[in-house]
Amino acid sequence: MPNIIVILVIIAIISAAIAKIIIEKKKGVKCIGCPASETTKKNCSCNTSNK
Amino acid sequence: MNTEKNMKVALTGNPNSGKTTLFNAITGKIERVGNWAGVTIEKKEGDIKESLNKTGFQITAVDLPGAYSMSPFTSEEGITSRFVKNESPDVIINIVDSTNLSRSLFFTTQLLELGIPVVVALNKSDLTKKKSTTLDVKRLSELLGCPVIETVSTNGNNNGLENLISKVVEVKGETQTAPFNNKGVNMADKSSVEASDKKRYEFVKEIVSKVEDRKISSNTQTKQDAADRILADKWLGIPIFAVIMWAVFSISQTHVGPFLADTFVGWIDSLYVLVEGLLGDSVSPVLSSLLLDGIIGGVGAVVGFLPLIMVLFFLLALLEDCGYMARVAVVMDRFFKRVGLSGKSIIPMIIGTGCAIPGVMATRTIKNERQRRTTAMLTPFMPCGAKLPVIALFASAFFNDAAWVGTSMYFMGIAIIIMGALIVVRITGEKNARSFFIMELPEYKFPSIKRATISMLSRGKSFIIKAGTIILLCNAVVQIMQTFNWQFEVIAEGAENTSILAGIASPFAILLVPLGFGVWQLAAAAITGFIAKENVVGTLAVVYSITNFIDTEELALVGDGANVASVMGLTSVAALAYLMFNLFTPPCFAAIGAMNSEMENRKWLWSGIVFQFGMGYVVAFITYQVGTLITTGTLGTGFIPGLIVVVGLIGYVVYLMKKGDEKAEKKVALSV
Repeated sequence: MPNIIVILVIIAIISAAIAKIIIEKKKGVKCIGCPASETTKKNCSCNTSNK
Repeated sequence: MNTEKNMKVALTGNPNSGKTTLFNAITGKIERVGNWAGVTIEKKEGDIKESLNKTGFQITAVDLPGAYSMSPFTSEEGITSRFVKNESPDVIINIVDSTNLSRSLFFTTQLLELGIPVVVALNKSDLTKKKSTTLDVKRLSELLGCPVIETVSTNGNNNGLENLISKVVEVKGETQTAPFNNKGVNMADKSSVEASDKKRYEFVKEIVSKVEDRKISSNTQTKQDAADRILADKWLGIPIFAVIMWAVFSISQTHVGPFLADTFVGWIDSLYVLVEGLLGDSVSPVLSSLLLDGIIGGVGAVVGFLPLIMVLFFLLALLEDCGYMARVAVVMDRFFKRVGLSGKSIIPMIIGTGCAIPGVMATRTIKNERQRRTTAMLTPFMPCGAKLPVIALFASAFFNDAAWVGTSMYFMGIAIIIMGALIVVRITGEKNARSFFIMELPEYKFPSIKRATISMLSRGKSFIIKAGTIILLCNAVVQIMQTFNWQFEVIAEGAENTSILAGIASPFAILLVPLGFGVWQLAAAAITGFIAKENVVGTLAVVYSITNFIDTEELALVGDGANVASVMGLTSVAALAYLMFNLFTPPCFAAIGAMNSEMENRKWLWSGIVFQFGMGYVVAFITYQVGTLITTGTLGTGFIPGLIVVVGLIGYVVYLMKKGDEKAEKKVALSV
């Protein structure tokens, strides 16, 4: 039983981390964790059209 | 099409006139600002906050990159020009630096010609008053034919912003008349455009003479000029920069940072102990180790450095805000232009000290293609924020928290950039190319504690998000990979070399033997560093089962180099080589993505990555072998194979440089 609880906790932590990455990606933040991700939305990945 | 109660307002103005500061003030956003030109390179949108907008309109403000003219010279100026011409904002707010009216109004007169209502925000009006310069705002408004509002966007109160917003709504729908018009000028004819620009300058000069009363003439040497003579001096500039950077590292990593880190690490330790107690002996050791060592320990080891990094970013933000970093650009320019880089290359590199991604993106302000690509390739050599935990770890564990480690890494980065630029300019056959750098130096000012705090907190938040997502996942994967072997059986104690992680990292470790750190654990940490550089610290914590690197009782980072060295199997020299290898090999994948976007050329991208790998390898090899020779009197292990690789790399670069020289000579011969 304790093992199952720990497995569930680990799954919850990892799922939350993955979910956060997916949510941020969907918002357009292509480089989560980049200190400039707030200002480089749409562009970390590289919008070259404005050149 | 805008609905009746919706408005779109464009914020335009010269670089460093305070557009983004005003944008942040009216929208409540916290976009990056900097006390120099060229910080904003793309448009940003935000709704004007209710406390300033009592008009009943939903107003969206669009912050545009700075521009000197409607005829774009650089790509980000093109964004501004295209937006105001093609997207028909309802009103244009033209932010004019009131301390430099004559320069700013050239662009204003061009905006007035578009027919879109313009409201001039006469920004930095507090600085004008300090300089005993008086401006006749009413007369200026009459002469320009548009409302002019005095603003101080850095002030919380009495900043003129509410008045500005009401005026914006008032002029909506009006037709703007232009006091100066260049209709009929053939834009394809250079001489007629120049003649028109000259007339425009004369018109602006006339307006300024009517509205401005300066008490201090421009040829009088001010205190600012005197400070510049010292700080931007060609001989004193570099030593002063070195001392300032040393002080920054000393405060953040030796004094204040570790003191704050103690509390933080105490919490992480408590969490570890609490979870350990809850798990007890009834839980499988594999699960217990994954949760404790992989997730809590690995993430905690990285997060433990957060206070040090926040203090460092706070201090760097103060330096930037007071105007000093712009002087560093001037000091470095004379070195950069000699190696074929533009003086503009310095700005991306300074931005790159925060994060390589916006640094690389800032290269788009450089018009020359070769210079832009070279700068994008070399910017990641500046140690970014993600590399700071790695620097802090090695400085503390092996060099007793010495501030010179961090400082020298910055100077090493600069030296590599200069050397790299020299190599690239020779390979591309453009060694005879010359560039000129004109930069408008911002005035020195007392740095804003509020802005520095906002910058620090936003970086801290991003650091935590990264630690809780990418770093956490990587550490969990690393922990699983080192717990199981290829048959997916739990490995026995003492048989770590049979783990999946060891199996993957060992072949790479062989290549690293001549660099002094040819063990799979260090190779694995270096590999995970390409996902995010903080991973180096997290992976080291996981593979060596070190819960944190900060000694809470000593109120300092782990200072027992011998102890950590014995755990990691490293000498101090090898540790320095490992640090340099991690700093000067390619950046994280996200930064490589940014390089790809700015270089717009696969050949350049791959050459850049190979160059970065080669540079990191050569620097680490020289550091380890020479350092070992000096400290022990003998060469380090793997000298001969390492030397073969290094000579091969250098020989190939020299061959390419010679080929480039021939190309350059042919160019000269053709031009003669």
